[in-house]
Amino acid sequence: MAEAGAISPPQTPFVSVRGVKKTFGGVHALDAVSFDLYTRDIIGLVGDNGAGKSTLIKILSGALEATHGEIEVDGRPVSLAPPAEAQRLGVETVYQDLSLISGFTAAENVFLGRELASGRGPSMFRLMRRKAMANATAQGLDDLHIEIPGLRTRSVERMSGGQRQLVAIARAAFWGGKLLLLDEPTAALGVRESREVLELIKRLGARGLTIVMVTHNLEHLWQVCNRVIVMRRGRKVVDAMSRETSLEEVVAYITGAKEPSLAMPASTAVVE
Amino acid sequence: MAKLVVDSRTMANPHAKQEREASQSAGLSRGPRAWLRMTGTYRSILLRLLGTYGTIVVLVFMLIAFSLVEPGTFATIGNFRNILNDMAIGTIVAGGLTVPLVAGDFDLSIGYVASFCGLLLVGLLSFNQLPIPVAILVVVAIGAVIGVINGIVVSKLGVNAFIATLGTGTLVVGLNYAYSGGIPLQLTHSREFTDVAIGRFWGVPHLIVIMTALLLILWVFLNRTVQGQHIKAIGISAESARRAGVAVDHSRIVAFACASTCAAIGGVLMASNLGSGQVTAGDGFMLTSFSAAFLGSAALKEGQFHILGTLIGVLTVAVGNNGLAMIGAPIFTQFLFAGLLLVVAVALSSIGRRYGRDS
Repeated sequence: MAEAGAISPPQTPFVSVRGVKKTFGGVHALDAVSFDLYTRDIIGLVGDNGAGKSTLIKILSGALEATHGEIEVDGRPVSLAPPAEAQRLGVETVYQDLSLISGFTAAENVFLGRELASGRGPSMFRLMRRKAMANATAQGLDDLHIEIPGLRTRSVERMSGGQRQLVAIARAAFWGGKLLLLDEPTAALGVRESREVLELIKRLGARGLTIVMVTHNLEHLWQVCNRVIVMRRGRKVVDAMSRETSLEEVVAYITGAKEPSLAMPASTAVVE
Repeated sequence: MAKLVVDSRTMANPHAKQEREASQSAGLSRGPRAWLRMTGTYRSILLRLLGTYGTIVVLVFMLIAFSLVEPGTFATIGNFRNILNDMAIGTIVAGGLTVPLVAGDFDLSIGYVASFCGLLLVGLLSFNQLPIPVAILVVVAIGAVIGVINGIVVSKLGVNAFIATLGTGTLVVGLNYAYSGGIPLQLTHSREFTDVAIGRFWGVPHLIVIMTALLLILWVFLNRTVQGQHIKAIGISAESARRAGVAVDHSRIVAFACASTCAAIGGVLMASNLGSGQVTAGDGFMLTSFSAAFLGSAALKEGQFHILGTLIGVLTVAVGNNGLAMIGAPIFTQFLFAGLLLVVAVALSSIGRRYGRDS
């Protein structure tokens, strides 16, 4: 049992989360959450509102710091905050509404905070290389087979929700993120747009990225994810390969109709 | 096809239909009824155009109208030079203010900073006998420091910018009175110093040259540099920018420093222009800068602050005031004009944007 483990490939995890707790005032938003992420995992992170999904994503993205616990990337303990540090370690995040600057073009958004510029010294003396950034963006989107007209000239607020989401996800992939955190990537999208976004997520997974996707849409989850983590009241209650569980079972765990039979052993806990 | 557009438009905006029905049943006079009967699409386009280009239309209209009425006095190179010369200091202060406005922050201290810096400069020249360039550098550096303090109080301490800059502005007034005792300072050696503002460079007054140069620098800074890009981003969404890795606090501090530095330069030029240090001479720049920047935010871009817009804002008011004076209109009309222009332009711009979002 211990040898087999919950996750089959005997590789070293890309990211290990160990006993992470987060309290806000007296409230336990996360209580001793542990799991490992392996390369090529596409994980659906689900749970009811207030289950701790968002807090977990924010900790992984560096937007929040854990009260307790450790996170390792490539076997080394790291601190992911602030977001720029998480990015440096290969963690890219696509937030639900806060991922893009509405008045900026796709190209400007892709390069925000990492602008190509000529000259040295403080950023106020460095001139942006706007053409180079636009070309690189066009190239990057092309590589991912994303077609968006006017990505150099049109501000993203003039794009559809699906196009915006594609731009946001493409940006994360563009910067060579190894772990992609997606917060509700298909919320508020139409059927066709959702499909495009899910296709992109699958393509990125096939390219060797690790993806954690928070979602309320279990149908979408089953379309792309190979693994499901269910959160309830700040704890991890299920961590299973999606083929080993079912939609009904996951719903039961989300709502609390079904409780884990025994305290879920942290899948990372090394059994000696 | 056109029919389809109209129909979908009406369905999308039930108000348009209601308004139309109301106007028809009330049997309004021809003008408003025709206006209301216009299809929503055309009306929204017209409103957006009016909101975006309204200020410029007013500016061009005034230039033509005043030129026709007063060809001998208004439409002369000398008069245009006067207009630009008179608005130069205000434009510099307003241009500086535009930077924190773009970042989403108010700065209420600029007027007081301009007053204090002008006065301090005269003091440094008269009492401390500092060479003119050194004195100017010291004063402008003090302006920059005040801006950095503003930025730190706002970003690091989290005080609302409105309150924070009201506080630092009042502190600066305190410094001003402590230094001057509330009495204007006279310049002991004037000629050389007044030349800074009053002198001419190839026939063009220095003030106009300096204004043009500073506006160009500000435009390049906001639109072409990495720092400017970050300032724009945090003005749209500070949280998104932060999560994208932008140093938000740093950008806000730089923005406040820009405003205060420009206010200090404005103070320096004011002192040079007046040839003395007046205790409250720059205070009025605060309100005129805000109205110019807001008026400019309604021009060309849809409700965003930008340097060119601020210039258009200052220019429109300056041309209006000058023309009204030229045709002999009483002075109160200048205030009526400036006030009305601001309210109408910003209102049209926001109405235009509302329609733009709907369609």
